[in-house]
Amino acid sequence: MHSLPDRLRAIVGPRRVLERPSELLAYGSDALPGYQKNPNLAVFPGSRDEVIAVVRELAKAKVPYVPRGAGTGLSGGALADGIVLLGLHRLRRILSVDTVNQLAVVEPGVVNASLTRAVSPHGLHYAPDPSSQAACTIGGNVAENAGGPHCLKYGVTMNHVVAISAVLPNGEVVSLGNANGENTGYDLVGAFVGSEGCFGVALDVTVRLTRIPQAVRTMLADFMSIDAAARAVSAIVARGIVPAALEMMDTATIRAVEASVYAAGYPVDAAAVLLIELDGFAEGLDDDVALVTSLVTDAGARSVRVASAEAERAKLWQGRKKAFGAMGRVAPHLVVQDAVVPRTKLPAILATIGEIGTRYRVNVCNVFHAGDGNLHPNIPYNALDHDEAGRVHKAMQEIMEACIAAGGSITGEHGVGLDKLRYMDALFTPPTLRAMCDLRDVFDPERRSNPGKTIPVHSCREWHATPAARTATADPSLRSG
Amino acid sequence: MTNPALGMTNPIAEKLHWACVGERKLRVVGAGRWAKAGRPVRSEETISMADHRGIVEYVAGDLTMTVLAGTTLEDIAAATAREGQWLPLDPWGGDSGTIGATVSTATSGPFSHAMGLPRDLVLGMEFVTGDGHVVRSGGRVVKNVAGFDLTRLLVGSWGSLGVITELTVRLRARPEHRETIAVSIAPTRTGLNDLAATLRALPFAPMASELVSAQLAQRLGFDATVLLLVSLGGNERAVRAQRAAVRELGDCVMVDEGVWTALRSADGEAVASWRWSQLPSQFGDTWTTADTGARGLGAFHLHGNPARGVVRAFAFGEQQASPLVRAASAFKGTVNLEAMPADAWPLVSPEAPNALAQSIRSKFDPARILNDGIMGTDRDQ
Repeated sequence: MHSLPDRLRAIVGPRRVLERPSELLAYGSDALPGYQKNPNLAVFPGSRDEVIAVVRELAKAKVPYVPRGAGTGLSGGALADGIVLLGLHRLRRILSVDTVNQLAVVEPGVVNASLTRAVSPHGLHYAPDPSSQAACTIGGNVAENAGGPHCLKYGVTMNHVVAISAVLPNGEVVSLGNANGENTGYDLVGAFVGSEGCFGVALDVTVRLTRIPQAVRTMLADFMSIDAAARAVSAIVARGIVPAALEMMDTATIRAVEASVYAAGYPVDAAAVLLIELDGFAEGLDDDVALVTSLVTDAGARSVRVASAEAERAKLWQGRKKAFGAMGRVAPHLVVQDAVVPRTKLPAILATIGEIGTRYRVNVCNVFHAGDGNLHPNIPYNALDHDEAGRVHKAMQEIMEACIAAGGSITGEHGVGLDKLRYMDALFTPPTLRAMCDLRDVFDPERRSNPGKTIPVHSCREWHATPAARTATADPSLRSG
Repeated sequence: MTNPALGMTNPIAEKLHWACVGERKLRVVGAGRWAKAGRPVRSEETISMADHRGIVEYVAGDLTMTVLAGTTLEDIAAATAREGQWLPLDPWGGDSGTIGATVSTATSGPFSHAMGLPRDLVLGMEFVTGDGHVVRSGGRVVKNVAGFDLTRLLVGSWGSLGVITELTVRLRARPEHRETIAVSIAPTRTGLNDLAATLRALPFAPMASELVSAQLAQRLGFDATVLLLVSLGGNERAVRAQRAAVRELGDCVMVDEGVWTALRSADGEAVASWRWSQLPSQFGDTWTTADTGARGLGAFHLHGNPARGVVRAFAFGEQQASPLVRAASAFKGTVNLEAMPADAWPLVSPEAPNALAQSIRSKFDPARILNDGIMGTDRDQ
C-alpha cells in the first residue's frame, strides 16, 4: 500500500503535492497577521475530478484537511495546523456566462476581480467586492460569505449565489440550490455559504451578475470630529438613501494612507472622512448627490468633494481599498478587527473605541463600512514589545465586548475562523452553538473539514444527547417557563 | 429590562419538549390564514402562533425591526408607515397573515425581485427546535457572518425544523415618489421572452413588474387584456425618466397604487395556487405552460414577474387537478405547489428524497413532530 502523499501524487501529479517544511511555510498564514500554523502536507488539484478524487482519498484515510482559496482571509480560517491543506486556486475556469439571465458558473479558484473583468464587456459585474478582490477567490468568498464596500446596496455573497455543486468531506458530490427557477426544499445554499470550509468543498458556483450602473458619483466629505461623521452616516441611512457604498476613515487611517504610495488626497487635518458612492440610473442621481451633500453638511462636514471622472473616483477608492496595506508603514504588526453594531450606535461605539485606545495607549485606526455599521478598528503595533502587545490584546478584547454589548456581532465579513472563536460564547447561547454543531454534523459528521474552526469545540460535546438526557442538563430556558 | 419575548417563548419550548418526548405530532400555524398551504400534515394538535404577537424593538434609524413571530404584516406595515418605512415583503395573500408564516414558507410578493426575498430580508431569529431547545441565530445588525447560518436554513423550511418565535427584519425607506403604470402586452411566447430580457436590461430596476392575465386584469377592474403592472420609485426626476422608458414597452396608463394590494389579495378564496419558474429568458415558455397547465381547473388566474422568471397561478371553485399535475410533471423548470385541494395531493409524486435535508430534519426535529409531511419528501417514511 502506498503512502497518502503517494496516492495524492498519483491523482494530481508529483509537483502538486508539497511535503517539505520549507515549501509548506508559505501556507502557514493567511492575511491575518499573528498566526503561523503550518500544514504537514499540501495538495493542489487542477480539476473538478481531481478535487473529488483527493477528497475521497482523504476520506478513505480519515485525514482532516483545510480547504484554501487564495489565503487572503482575515480570521485564520484557512490555516491547517499540522494537517492537510487542500489548495483550490488552480481551478480558475469560468465555465459559462449567461448575459441575458445574468448568471455565471465558475470554478472555486476564479479570482473575484477576474470574473468582473470577464463579464464587463457585457455591461455586467460581480457585485460583492472584498478589498482583496484582486486576489481572493469565489470559493473563498463563498466559504466566508464575503462582503465589501458595495455590499451596502448590493448585498453580500449569500445574496448573489444561486447554486453550488460541492463535494462533501465523505467524497459524495451534491447539488445545492437551483439556477433554473425558484428554490424548493431547504435553503441549502444559504446554509453552505459562510460555512467557512467546514461543510465541504465547492466544485462550481453559480453566481448572479449585476448590471454595471449607468452612472456613478463618488463623494468625499471631511469632518473635524468623528462624532459628526458618525452622525452624518446615521442621517443618510435614516433618510432612506441607499448609497452603493458609505465608508469611514479616521485621522489615524487618513495619515497612514496619505504617507503611503496609495495617497488619495484625503485631508490630513480631518478627524474623519466619509467616502460616499451613489450609483444607478443617471437621471435624478445628481438630485440624490445634492440631498446627501446637504445632509452631511448639516451634520458638520467641512467640505464635500464630488468625483464623477473615473480616474478621480479610482484614486479616492484606492486609498480606502489599500488602507490596511498602508498601515504596514506605521508599525511592523497589525491587528485587524471586524465587528458590527446597529448603525444608530456608531457615534457611541466610536467614542468608546477612542476611550479604550487612549486608556491602553494604543493607536486605533478605524477604516470601515459605516453604512452597514461594520467596524474595522485596526491597531498597528510591535509584537516584539511584550508590554505593547499585551495592551493591544486587552484593548481589542474590550472593543469586542463593547460591540456585543451594543447589540452587535463579532464579525460582519471576515468570518470566525480561529481568531474569533473566543468570542462565540459571549455572542451565542449554548443551545444555539449546539444547533450550529448539529448542522455541521450533517455535512461533516467526522468533523474532518477545517476542524477546530468557527464553533468552539467545547460547545459541541453534548450534541447527541437524547431529549430526556437534555432535560437533565442545564437548559435554563426550559426551567423558567 | 423587560422583554416580552422571554416570557412567551418558554411555554413553546416546554410544549415542544414534551411533544418530542411523547412523539405527539403538531401542526404549526401562524394566523391560520394559509392553513391550506403545503401538503397535508399528519398531526394530533395545532399550535397557533397568532397570539404570540407584538413589536419587541423598532429602531427606525437602523431600519430594522424585531417582532414576535405571530405579529401580522398589517401591524408591521402600520408601525413602519408612521416612520416612512416599509418591510417590502408584501407577499401574495395580503397582510392578514403573520410574519412568522411568511418567513417559514418563504412567501414572496411583487417587490421581491428588486427588494429581496425573505432570505434576503431576515437578519436574525429565535426558534424552538423540535426537541424544545431555544436557538437564537443571526442578530439585529444588517451584516453578520458569526457562526453557521441557521437563519437561512429556517427561512422556507415550512416549520419543519423549528417553530420561529421572534424575527428581526431589514426595512426600507419608502421612496420619495412612487407611481404605477399599466402597460398593454401581447402575450405571445416569444414576445414575453423578449419582454423579460428587455426588463432585465433596463438601466434601472423597477420596484415591481408583474404581468397579469386578461382574467386577472378584469378581476382587478381593468379591461380583459394582458397587462404589465410596473411600480416605479425614486426621486421625482428619476421617476419621470423611468416612466418615459416604460412607455417604450407599449400603451400605458397610470393606475392607482391600490392595485398592488388588490393584486396581492386577489387569490382570497382560491382553493389551489402554484408557481412555475425557470430562467427569465424563457418567461414566455413558462407563461404559456402555466396557461395550458391551468386549463381544466375552471376559473383560474395567472400573474408573473418576467424579470424573475416566475409565474403564479391560482384557481377557484370545483377543480379537476389532474391536468395541472400532468403539466407540472412534464415541465422542465421548477414547480412549487403552494396549496391544493386535499384530494389532489395524492396525484402529486413525492419530491425526490434529499439525504442532506433528511439528515437536517432528524437533527432539528428528531421525533419528526413538526408539520410532518409538509415538505413532500417524507410522506411514507
